[in-house]
Amino acid sequence: MIQVLLVEDDRELRTTLAEALRVEGYEVRTAASLADGLALLAHSAIDLVLLDLGLPDGEGEELLHRLRKQKGTPLLVISAREQDGLKVRLLDAGADDYLVKPFSIVELLARMRVALRHRGQMTAAAVTRYEQDGLLVDLAAHRVSLNGADVHLTPTEFKLLARLLRSAGQVVTHRTLLTDVWGAECSEHTHYLRLYMGQLRAKLEADSADPKRLLTEPGVGYRFS
Amino acid sequence: MHLYIAWFIGVAFAVLALTLFRRLHAQAARAERHAFEAEQLRLLAEELRGLSDHAAMADALARALTPLAAAAPIVLLLRDQLPAGNEAAAVHLLGQPDANQSEGLWLSLRRGLAFGPGTLRHEEQNAWYLPLRSSRDARGAALLPLDLAPALGRRPHAQALCDLLGLALERAATERAARRSREAAKAQGLRNTLLATISHDYRTPLATIMSAASSLLAQDEKLDARQRERLARSIVEEARSLSRMTDNTLQLARLDGPDVRLACDWESVEEVIGAVIARLRLRDAHVHVKWRLGPDLPLLRCDAQLLTQALDNLVDNALKYADGSAVEILAKREDATVLIAVRDRGPGVQPAWRDRIFDVFRRGPENERPDGSRGAGVGLAACRAIALAHGGSLSYRARSHGGAAFELRLPIEEVPE
Repeated sequence: MIQVLLVEDDRELRTTLAEALRVEGYEVRTAASLADGLALLAHSAIDLVLLDLGLPDGEGEELLHRLRKQKGTPLLVISAREQDGLKVRLLDAGADDYLVKPFSIVELLARMRVALRHRGQMTAAAVTRYEQDGLLVDLAAHRVSLNGADVHLTPTEFKLLARLLRSAGQVVTHRTLLTDVWGAECSEHTHYLRLYMGQLRAKLEADSADPKRLLTEPGVGYRFS
Repeated sequence: MHLYIAWFIGVAFAVLALTLFRRLHAQAARAERHAFEAEQLRLLAEELRGLSDHAAMADALARALTPLAAAAPIVLLLRDQLPAGNEAAAVHLLGQPDANQSEGLWLSLRRGLAFGPGTLRHEEQNAWYLPLRSSRDARGAALLPLDLAPALGRRPHAQALCDLLGLALERAATERAARRSREAAKAQGLRNTLLATISHDYRTPLATIMSAASSLLAQDEKLDARQRERLARSIVEEARSLSRMTDNTLQLARLDGPDVRLACDWESVEEVIGAVIARLRLRDAHVHVKWRLGPDLPLLRCDAQLLTQALDNLVDNALKYADGSAVEILAKREDATVLIAVRDRGPGVQPAWRDRIFDVFRRGPENERPDGSRGAGVGLAACRAIALAHGGSLSYRARSHGGAAFELRLPIEEVPE
């Protein structure tokens, strides 16, 4: 059974979310403070973390930093804060996703499924083949095929796809993509990213305005779903 | 004897001529000085008209006074109101007066009087202390160091120069006060309108949530499955509309503020529309929205979150009033802009309301609002504010075969290499 750690100080929301998740078959451990959250994280086998930011005894961000020092456990931020740059900062620090309150349980479950689907798949360095829904990517052989037909990608398109695959399920910020694919000197050249993302979608999506794999997070980055 | 008389007459004429010549010369010199002084007043007045900065104003006066003074003049200007004590923070000071001079400048400012040689006040001073007089009171003072033999006749001119600055300072203070009160009134007005809108628009969905949730709680066993589902659904819908209203209200207040900073980047129209539709599907998997994108859509320089918010509002609005007709998003290049239109085949907006749908309107008890304008109060206003913040526009167009089209136009900027 999948173990979820829910760190949320609001009692109503914590209870409601915990029940809704249990109904879906998750095992839920709850914490109302940063200290409780850190203790649970240290002493139980957690598969996914849902983390609120403003906690009575400190910032939830602290838990993210401690977690990322050791493990790749998926972590979703749930917060009412929506300041400029905060989302990007937390995603760059290793959060898998960021949900702004209020959100529906449908939305939360969908995001949790995406984060869990790719768990462990890409973190293992040995994984060089990716296969899903008719898309096959062989990272070692630089080969991509869609529904059995070979797809030709330019070297940059391939690098971009490989980078997104490496963090499949996670939102990867513009800056990270630009730095990893084009180099640090291009970290502000978002227009490169738009261009190559458009080309990738044209080759890998049925309708590039309605993508199923290469998803847009407006103002933040992209995610391979 | 005749010779003597002739000599005498000659000398008399010579003296007369010399006197006349001297007088003429003096008159000419005076005329020249008057002309110079008039010209100097004109130049200073002209220069001051273009200035609002205290330091620059003080400089201008000091330059005009310098030809009259034995050393560099010192100028003291009130920044705003006259303080109770002689506080350095309340004035702008050009030059470095000693304690005695500083005292004299403040005294001249407070009393609005000139001191020094020829003024009958503090005649012993070797400088003039001249107030910068406005129509009501003095707005500052200037100190002119004088030679041992001061040109007493020049003081009226020096005073006139000082008064020019006094009047300019008064004008600037009046303008500042007017601007401050305009801004305060505007902020107050927006705040009142927002509060009125919020208190009305928030109570309605809150009332639905309250009644639906309490019904689920209190009448649970009397409700059948379908009724329970309907109640739960309306709670979700109304909570969503509250959340949207909160976002729009906050955005409106932010975009109305003095220094709005947008997080602009190069964005693809296709991606933004795609993200709006994806978000919509998450709420309702069967949502009926079509889209059509023109060829060669350029990248837009915009704030992706704001543009997403605006489009999300427009589509939500269209779905609400489409009356079951298809909602369509259309994007195309149009001269130097990109047009993004959200269209439906619903009843559209009544002509009388077309100019007002973008205002944050106050809804009186008589509820005189257009049919189906519910929730448009802050939503469309926020959309327009977002368009304007990007140097674009948002307008309503009645479609030729019925229905509404909301047209958002954003300027195209050149993408770097």
